[in-house]
Amino acid sequence: MKEVKRKEFYVFSPFLRVFHWIMVVSIVVLFCTGVIIATPLQSVNLEPTYSVTYMDLVRDIHFVVAFIFAASFILRVYGFVINKGDRLFPHFWKGYFYRQTIEVALHYMFLKYEHSSFLRNPLARASYAMLYVLVAVEFITGFAMYFLANPDSIWGGISAWIIMVCGGEMMAHLIHHYVAWGIILFAIGHLYMVIRAEFMEGESEVSAMFSGYKFLIHNPKDATDSDLSGEKHLI
Amino acid sequence: MEKRESLWEKCLRKGISRRTFIKGCTGLCALMGVSVDRLAEVVEAAEAKPLPVVIWIHGHECTGCDESFIRSAAPLASDLVLSQIDLEYDHLLSAACGEPFEAHLKATMAANKGNYILAVEGATCTKDNGVYCMSGGHTFSSLLKEAAAGAMAVIAYGTCAAYGGIQAAKPNPTGSSGIGAFCGATPVVNVPGCPPIPEVMTGVVMHVALFGSLPPLDGEGRPKQFYGNRIHDTCYRRPFFDAAMFADSYDDAGAKAGWCLYKLGCRGPETYNSCGNIRWFEGLSYPIQSGAACIGCANANFWDDGVGSFSERLPKYGKLGNADKIGTAVGAAAVVGVAAHAAASVVQKGKREAIEAAESGKKESR
Repeated sequence: MKEVKRKEFYVFSPFLRVFHWIMVVSIVVLFCTGVIIATPLQSVNLEPTYSVTYMDLVRDIHFVVAFIFAASFILRVYGFVINKGDRLFPHFWKGYFYRQTIEVALHYMFLKYEHSSFLRNPLARASYAMLYVLVAVEFITGFAMYFLANPDSIWGGISAWIIMVCGGEMMAHLIHHYVAWGIILFAIGHLYMVIRAEFMEGESEVSAMFSGYKFLIHNPKDATDSDLSGEKHLI
Repeated sequence: MEKRESLWEKCLRKGISRRTFIKGCTGLCALMGVSVDRLAEVVEAAEAKPLPVVIWIHGHECTGCDESFIRSAAPLASDLVLSQIDLEYDHLLSAACGEPFEAHLKATMAANKGNYILAVEGATCTKDNGVYCMSGGHTFSSLLKEAAAGAMAVIAYGTCAAYGGIQAAKPNPTGSSGIGAFCGATPVVNVPGCPPIPEVMTGVVMHVALFGSLPPLDGEGRPKQFYGNRIHDTCYRRPFFDAAMFADSYDDAGAKAGWCLYKLGCRGPETYNSCGNIRWFEGLSYPIQSGAACIGCANANFWDDGVGSFSERLPKYGKLGNADKIGTAVGAAAVVGVAAHAAASVVQKGKREAIEAAESGKKESR
């Protein structure tokens, strides 16, 4: 076995990691319950007296999980404030972002054998920013539909405006549904890319979301984006 | 101009007792959707305020709203028109016609400037200067602009007046639209529905007439007391929804048993109206109670939303087709793509390592 020296980089705060896993569970639960709400399964009960109010339950789960997911953003924001490694934005405004993106993309298209080392490569950064946009759309349309159960409330007033921007409540449902599928597509790609990075490239993409540390062979190009550069943690 | 009577003065003249008058005022509270706490205000207004002058004009529409209006039971439409409002001009209900009738409109508008209520049914036509909808030799849009400018408030009756309705459905050859943009600074109450519920129509005009102010409105300018709930949330079939007992077609056992019509494209979950609680024609029934899914007739663009798919809902709703099938197909394609990419990555890694091994071999041999 070839000996490889790796440096340790502290990237993700515990707050971000907990948030991430809440998000994973939330998305799975929200997607499954959402599909059931759109296309309910027929109750097996034919006698109303003995039926269970399972649609009601599924809707409740959908709403409660949505609130938990939304609330978990407090962790994300707190981590964002206290830890530099939680701020791995795509640097759209910098020229190198596009050069590096092309480099990474060429590698993923098998036109280059490898790409430079990153704490988080620019393509991944852009895709995560995209995910937050999708989640934001889900939140906005979802809560708008939810709060309009009572248009009298303050939230109802804001929601009415959102529904108008969507072009009617049915359109809000439609947008909510398609964007949910968009998130699932993201999840497929994300799951593959992190597993590939972890087990083929040795970039500790999966383990970092548990431990918070990345163990990298090369000095990543964006090492300054994390608080502790790896020098003192040679292993 | 002669002094106009208030509701109380009218009662006095007709020999109606105080007791009956107060009972009538209590009834008015209920039909306007305000709390009985405000009975004193209603009585005060009915005693002092002269009957409000109402001008009722019709644009691009089918007059179905009037058909609904004349079926109002509480109050009776005849009572409202003859004794509770001062209906001076109505395209449909007036017996008069011709030049004297138009002159009366001008005179009424001039005499009551800033004090009359303008009720509008039907959309305005905007294309080609509005020539596709004429009234009394003028375009309807010019009449609307003129009448709205001098009105205290405008009530847009029906989905056509509120949003454009069927005329504004694609391809909208006459450029029809809701009346909101033509009313300038005059406040507009939207009372959508195709048609609106009779009691909602009379309730809104009575509210404006008695209080001289608009009822509380929601984000789309609809009175909250009548449009504050989704039909789905007030539907008597809601328990079947919660229990997931659905009719799958209009001729199955579920439909016969009166189960939820959600799967048949019922728009109840997206529609705000009082069908579920006031119902129609003295609480006789409403579409869902009669076994037909709601088509969301109080929604803007409901015709376009419903073309070819009044009985479709998500995931089948929408121009692209079945959202879940599309999602599953794209997702499956993504999984296949990912698998292929993984295989190619393994091959590439093998090649890379072979090259690296060869290079390090060269170094060592040197």
